[in-house]
Amino acid sequence: MAALSLDRQNVRGIGCGTGLVLITIVLFIPILWMLMLSLKTEGEYSQSALQLLPTIPQWDNYWDALTKIDFAKFMLNSLVLSLLYTVPTVITSAMAGFAFASLEGPGKRLYFGIIIAMLMIPAIVFIIPQFVIFARLRLTGSYWPWFLWGISGNAFHIFLFRQFFAGFPKELQEAAEADGASIARFFVQILLPNAKPALATSFILSFAYVWGDWFLPTIYLNADNTNLAAMLLNGYRNPQGFTITTVTMAAAVLYVLPLVIMFFLTQRWIMEGIATSGLKG
Amino acid sequence: MASLSAIKPRWRLTRRSRRALNFYAFISPWLIGFILLTLVPVAVGVWLSFTNYDGLNVNNIKWVGTAWYQRFPRDRQAVESLKLVFIWTALNTPTWLVLSFVLAFIMSKVTRFRGFFRTMWYLPSVIPVVAVAWTWRTLLNDNYGLINQAVNTIRSGTVIHFLTEEALISLTMISVWMGLGNGIVIFLAGLQDISPELEDAAAIDGAGRLSSLRYIIIPMMTPIIFFQLVQSIVFAMQMFALPLLLSPSGGAGLSTAPQKDVFLYMIYAFQQIFQRQRFGYGVALIWILFAIIIVITIVLFWSRRYWVWTEKK
Repeated sequence: MAALSLDRQNVRGIGCGTGLVLITIVLFIPILWMLMLSLKTEGEYSQSALQLLPTIPQWDNYWDALTKIDFAKFMLNSLVLSLLYTVPTVITSAMAGFAFASLEGPGKRLYFGIIIAMLMIPAIVFIIPQFVIFARLRLTGSYWPWFLWGISGNAFHIFLFRQFFAGFPKELQEAAEADGASIARFFVQILLPNAKPALATSFILSFAYVWGDWFLPTIYLNADNTNLAAMLLNGYRNPQGFTITTVTMAAAVLYVLPLVIMFFLTQRWIMEGIATSGLKG
Repeated sequence: MASLSAIKPRWRLTRRSRRALNFYAFISPWLIGFILLTLVPVAVGVWLSFTNYDGLNVNNIKWVGTAWYQRFPRDRQAVESLKLVFIWTALNTPTWLVLSFVLAFIMSKVTRFRGFFRTMWYLPSVIPVVAVAWTWRTLLNDNYGLINQAVNTIRSGTVIHFLTEEALISLTMISVWMGLGNGIVIFLAGLQDISPELEDAAAIDGAGRLSSLRYIIIPMMTPIIFFQLVQSIVFAMQMFALPLLLSPSGGAGLSTAPQKDVFLYMIYAFQQIFQRQRFGYGVALIWILFAIIIVITIVLFWSRRYWVWTEKK
């Protein structure tokens, strides 16, 4: 009886393991395709998709991607744009999240209600009027809107920080106040150094959002100061005007790579952050 | 003692107002931003939808009343696009919800390498939409794509037009692929919160795996399922980027001509604004969709009492 149930468990374990590996492979087909395509010749792409591996890896595609499309310039644009949004948004959201978790003031319930509502309200409502206003202020074509969006924080990140700070022991704040430390000092010197997971999550999610967005750069910016996402949309065209898919794929891999690296370095925190967002208000 | 009690209330008052001051100091960047970048734009947006604004005629804006709102039901493409949004949402949300739940459930039963699989399955969610579009557009290409070349070797001459005729199916598949990571992580966190003793107790009472899933796990997960359902519907109804960029000519971005079956409502609204310069009409279209989304959200919240489990206190 004991041996039988052990066998059954083993079989189930192996079945489950195989299932997980199979699912992983299916989910990875597009990613592997992307990587392999970036290393093929254009002829291999158009003739032999079923030959999964390139005959000779064409590392030149990456060199072409870096040199022929001014990759560095647009990457720098993306970096500046992302940081210009991310740094202020993390600060503002952390501050507001702390206020909602640990401070008291008139209207707190109302404001927190607004935060919760903003989590659900469709973002499409704000896009066009904001664009019209920024255009009237002659701020389209510049990076100002990203900085201003950043300063005003983000409901989701405020919620994230509130959840995180609410888990901190209250005694800590009381002890600091008893010692005569101001709330600002307590926040900067004690709370923030202990909030690295929340800070990292907020930073990376905001950064990835701007890095990945092509739509707002398309409507706000011009061909010169737009970000990598908007530039990659068209793909690489050779001087004859033909799209070179393999070089475009190499550029796409280089474009995705920073996000993937950041994700792997901090995935434990990000997973927790996302799980927190799944309710438990 | 008398002097102490005389001082105390005043000290409390200043302490409380100091706290309120602190509270406002800490939320002020957000609050000012909320007023200037949310409330003001909403007001401007409402006003725009009653005007003939075309992006340039700032000095010559005319009030057109509800003309744009009356135009909507007579605009065949707008109505058709709205129908497509419902079809697409009805296809995407359940597929995504069920698949994420099932995968999270399987993962919750795995003890080894759980972190590894969770990370791997999340990876597609990290890839930005432009790179996703390039990858899938080539993968599903009629002539050069992996799947069609495989199909062609099995049955020569057969082509599955993933990006054109089957665009809706492809869009669902790709959108689910992109979203699984998020769904799995949130469901998995919920599943791990359910105490294993509960399942053990049910097993002792003779409940099989399926009935413990049916009568214990799913009911306990309904609050999370509800939250995911609302988020997914709100997300799907606003969809526009992926269907545009997946079109064979998707490299043109906003000016791409979308495929017929995925000419979703927001694509139409944005194209009215940025291609046709009809700001007033486009914004009115967006308000109509907004109202529909809000009504659906309210109905969903109301429906909670019939199917969402709440812990009795």
